[in-house]
Parts: sequence; C-alpha cells; structure tokens
Amino acid sequence: MAATKSQGKSFTLFMVGLTAACAGIAYFTTGVGKVALLIGLVAVAISLFEFFKIKPLEGRTGAGAQPAALKLAGVVVVLLGWVVVLLGLHLTAGVGGRMVMSIIGIAISLGGIFFLLAPASSKNAIWKA
Amino acid sequence: MMKIKCLKACTCALAIVMMAGAVTVARADAAPSASATELRDAAAKAPTTATLANGDPGGALTGTVSDVPVADTKAGITLADVANQVGQNKIAVNFTWTLICGFLVMFMQAGFAMVEAGLCRVKNSNHTYMMNFFVYGCGLFAYWIIGFAIQMGGAAGNGNLGGLQSLATEHAITLFGTHWGIFGENGMFLAKHTYDVGAMVIFLFEMVFMDTALTIVTGACAERWKFLAFAISSVLMGAFTYPLFGNWAWGGGWLAQLGTNVGLGKGYCDFAGSGVVHAVGGLSALAVALIVGPRIGKFNRDGSSNAIIGHDISAVMIGCFILAFGWFGFNPGSTLGASAAGCLRIGSIAVNTMLAGCTGTFGAICYMWALKGKPDASMAGNGLLAGLVAITAPSGFVNTTGSAIIGLVAGVLVCLSCVFVENYLKVDDPVGAISVHGACGLWGVISVGLFADGTSNYGGSWNGVTGSVTGLFYGDASQLVAQLIGCATLIGFVFTFSFVLNWIIDIIVGQRVSIETEIAGLDLPEMGQLGYPEFVFAPEPDFMRAAEKAAVA
Repeated sequence: MAATKSQGKSFTLFMVGLTAACAGIAYFTTGVGKVALLIGLVAVAISLFEFFKIKPLEGRTGAGAQPAALKLAGVVVVLLGWVVVLLGLHLTAGVGGRMVMSIIGIAISLGGIFFLLAPASSKNAIWKA
Repeated sequence: MMKIKCLKACTCALAIVMMAGAVTVARADAAPSASATELRDAAAKAPTTATLANGDPGGALTGTVSDVPVADTKAGITLADVANQVGQNKIAVNFTWTLICGFLVMFMQAGFAMVEAGLCRVKNSNHTYMMNFFVYGCGLFAYWIIGFAIQMGGAAGNGNLGGLQSLATEHAITLFGTHWGIFGENGMFLAKHTYDVGAMVIFLFEMVFMDTALTIVTGACAERWKFLAFAISSVLMGAFTYPLFGNWAWGGGWLAQLGTNVGLGKGYCDFAGSGVVHAVGGLSALAVALIVGPRIGKFNRDGSSNAIIGHDISAVMIGCFILAFGWFGFNPGSTLGASAAGCLRIGSIAVNTMLAGCTGTFGAICYMWALKGKPDASMAGNGLLAGLVAITAPSGFVNTTGSAIIGLVAGVLVCLSCVFVENYLKVDDPVGAISVHGACGLWGVISVGLFADGTSNYGGSWNGVTGSVTGLFYGDASQLVAQLIGCATLIGFVFTFSFVLNWIIDIIVGQRVSIETEIAGLDLPEMGQLGYPEFVFAPEPDFMRAAEKAAVA
C-alpha cells in the first residue's frame, strides 16, 4: 500500500488526540481539562480504529505470522527476570546475595530473549520457506 | 583546546570573584562602611562613558564595576548588588555551558542520519534520512507534551541550574516501608510554574538526549519499517518508554534511590547515559527489530546470512566523526555546569571520551584485521561509536586508564555482538545499532561499578549519598550491584515495555511495508521521491534476486 492520505489523516488525528489528552491531564483539575482529556482519548481511539481499518491494504509483508503464545511466554520470562532482581533486593541484605540475585535475574531475562522471543520471531520467517 | 583553556580561566576567575565576594560579605558584618566605601571608590574610578566612547582596543576598560546592575541608584553600588551579580554569573556560565553542549548533542542527529543512510542501500536512502529527520520532531513534541514531566517533573535540587524548584513533584510508591520514585508530575507543556529559565535549559538538554535514544531504533529497523508505524512508535517512545527509565535514573526515581534506600553504593550511576540513552535505544531497537523481522534476502534457507552492503561508506565515516564531535556535548555537558563543585572535571570527562573512542576504534580494527583479514570500515566506525557509548556512563567517574580499557573492551564487544545478533538471534540490524548501543551501553553501565575510582566529587555527594562514586576495583562492590540492577531493569523492563508497545502497534497499524514495496525500495512508495533520482541502480546480487523472487511467490 505504501504511504497514503488515509495514513496521513489518521496520524494527524492521533497526534491531535494525544496532545489534547495530555493537555487534559495537565489541567485535569479544571472543567476544560476534563473535557480535553475526553476529547483527546476519543480522538486517539478513532485514529487507532482508522489505522486498524487500513492495515490490510498493506498486503503481504516479509515478516510472516509469528506464534503469539511463544512471544507472550518470552515477554513473561523477560519480565520475570526483572522481578527476581527486585525481590532479591528485599530477600537479602548482603551485597554478595544481591549481586547473585541480580546476575540470576539478568540471566533469566536474557534467556527469555535468546531462547523464546528470538526463536518465536523467526519461527515462520519467509526465508525459511 | 583553546576553548577549554579559556573556559577554565573564566571559571577560575569567577571562583576568585565569588570567594572575594564571600570574604567581602564576611567583612561587611564587621565593617560595612569600609566595604561600601571601597565599592564607591571603585565605582568612581570606573571608566566614564566619554572614555569608553574612544574605544577599548585592549579590552581593559570593558567589564568593570560600572557593569554591575545597581538596585538603588541613589544608594549606589552595594555588596548585595555584587553578590547578586556573582550568583547570576555562576548560573549564566552553567546555562551557557549546558545549552552549548545541548546544541552539540542536537547536531549528532546529522551524524546518525549519515551513518544509517550510508549503511543502507541507495533505494532506501530517502526513507532512512526521513526517519532520522522526522524522529527529531516526533520525539521533541512528545517530550514537550508529557515526556519531560514524567522524566524530570520531580528532579528539583540541581544547584548548578538555579535549583530547578519548579520541578519538585515526584510520584512515589511505598514498598516495605520505603518510598520509591516512579515518575515526575510537573512540566507538561512547560506550562504553569515550569515556565522557568532553569526548566527551559534542562528541558533542551534532556530533550536532545532523548532524541538520540529514539534515532537508534531507526537504524536497526531501516529498509523495511513502515513510516507510519515508525512515527507512532517514536512518539510513544519519546512520551513514555524513555522518560520512565530516565526518571528512575536521573529524575530522582527508584534506581537513583538505591543508595539512600538500601545502601547500594551511590545508587544507580549513569553519568551521561550509556544506560538511559544508549541501552534504552539499543534494547528498544532489538524489540522492534524482532517484531519487524529481517530484510528480504538477509538470511538464506539454511539460516546463513548475506552481507547487504550500504551505498555510501564516506557518509558513514563522516557521520561517525560528527557523532564523535557531538559526544563532547554529551559527556562533559552532563555536569550541567562549568562553575560549581566538581565541574572543573569537564576536562577529564572530555579526555576520557576521546580516549575511549580511540581505543574502541583500535579494538574493532585490530579484531577485524586479525580475524577477517581487513580493517573493515563500517566496523571501525562502529568501534569508535562503541567506545563512546561505553564511556558515556563512566566518563565522569573514571581515570584515563579506566576509560582506555572500557573503550577497548567495547570495540571488541561490538564485533562479537554483531556476529551473535546476526548469526544466533537471526535478527537483522543493518547498522549494528543493537550491538553498538545495546550491548556496549550495558557494558558502560557495568563498567561504572568496576572502574569508578572514587576521586570524582560533585559537591560531596551523588544521588544524595555522601562521598564519591567508587567501583569494585577501588573497593566498593555495592556500586556494582546497583549497576547490575540498572542493567536488569533495562533488559527486564525497558525491553519488555518496548516489545509489548510495538507488538500492539504491529497488531493495530502493522510495522512492516509490503513485499512489493520492500523490493522496489522504500523511497518511492513511502516517501514519493528517490533519494538519488539521477542514479542508475546497479542490479541486485544473485542471492538477493533469488530471495525477492521467492518472497513474491
């Protein structure tokens, strides 16, 4: 499909909506702020709907469909590594213990990227076909 | 060099004036009339307008007591007038320093554009340049409307820039009886109380840092990233992803509080952004590159990879030099001043920056030359950048030996990481952004915990903990733990956040261009204009034509 007028209009609406929503947050204590937030969120929602509507016009891409479940599992494992590190801060007060927990956490997160997310992202890659 | 010398001279002069002012104030308590008399005498001896009208070729008559603004013309010049002028001068020096360094960092966008476009094929040059151009606007706007508030909205207290008291609201949560900063709240649209001279300076400086992180992603996803998806992704990264981690590290957030809250060194220390800027950019680049997928023809059916050669190595080399030049704003500028405690370390920081870039280049060139037989130009450039990325976090805390080692390791690491990313992860990164900024950014963060020599003393404390930042090799293992927690947050949170955000964008918008667009080159379909309309494109290599044929089929 390449770039089109529809994309341009939807992107403009997205930016206007985001700006209005942020203005609404900044001035939320006023009545105008609440209205701006509402208008902004509606505009962002409409723009997202428009994006979704024109997405199929792009046609087939070189990315291929990747397994969502495996990607989700990868995301969870990567996040889990971080949680392990945070818990380690409170489980032990010693520098050595915290260092070990940090390294374990980083290893879990990297494992999630290397062994789950990366394979998931190339599982159905078109270069394998 | 002359500029640095001049700056040092000015700073020394200012320090002397300030000391003299302090002494005068102390004396004033005892004998106010004597000091007042001295000031009046000095004012009487100041050159008159008639004298100045004759010109001042030697410069000895310009800049005297008559240039000090007087609050009450009837009373004449007072000690309060002098003290106010000294304070103004200190802040003026710091504002000027920070702004000029910010301007240098802004110019790095040109370097990134040249490096990335040069490493892409000619049929995608306009698209790549446009991504690097538009990311500046996307990031700036998003940062203005909300990103700055999230990152720096609770960052009050920097005396170098006048205190920044208008940025004093940090949203914190309480866990296990301890308060942890999560995001700032002041500064959206730079309105209300943040319509403030100090806030404007810190906004400009932090904004150009943020934009550097955003532009890293465009390199890793070049030649197949849909412009619409790129624009939305960049806006959201500038609004949320970058500012969140930026707050945790620099805005008074929970990573910076690791020292005060749980006794880990001086908290997470990242002087100029190996983690905040480069690792955030590099890991976001990895997240988006995983979603976008490799370019058609990058990998063969057996999993082996093909080298897709960029169109302009001269642009790459010049771009690298522009980036190295801009880095002198990045690192020394992160003192946020040239006239305050410890700020004279700017010379040391600048030298550390140069050295690490130098040894990074050596590391990459020697590695490639010895193992592959050629001192590869693009890897040499990446080696320079890798050294600079790695020294960004420790530049304010290490000595020259440390910086040379950090740069050298980064230069070799970037070569190894590029091979790993391409051959093992099967991620296509046309410019090596994931390795340069992600891997070497993480190395830079860790290196603070190893090489910080405990001699830096920016006002006597860092992140609210008294003393100098000291790494494992100089006796403080807890600093390394704080740095590792920072790395874990970058990999575990920032990467995940970027991945999920861009996954949602992929579902709603679609991250990648169509096969037909990719084969034709993105310039015409996405931008409507070729980067080089008068060029006759050379035929694609055989492997590429076969891959394109297979993709269409």
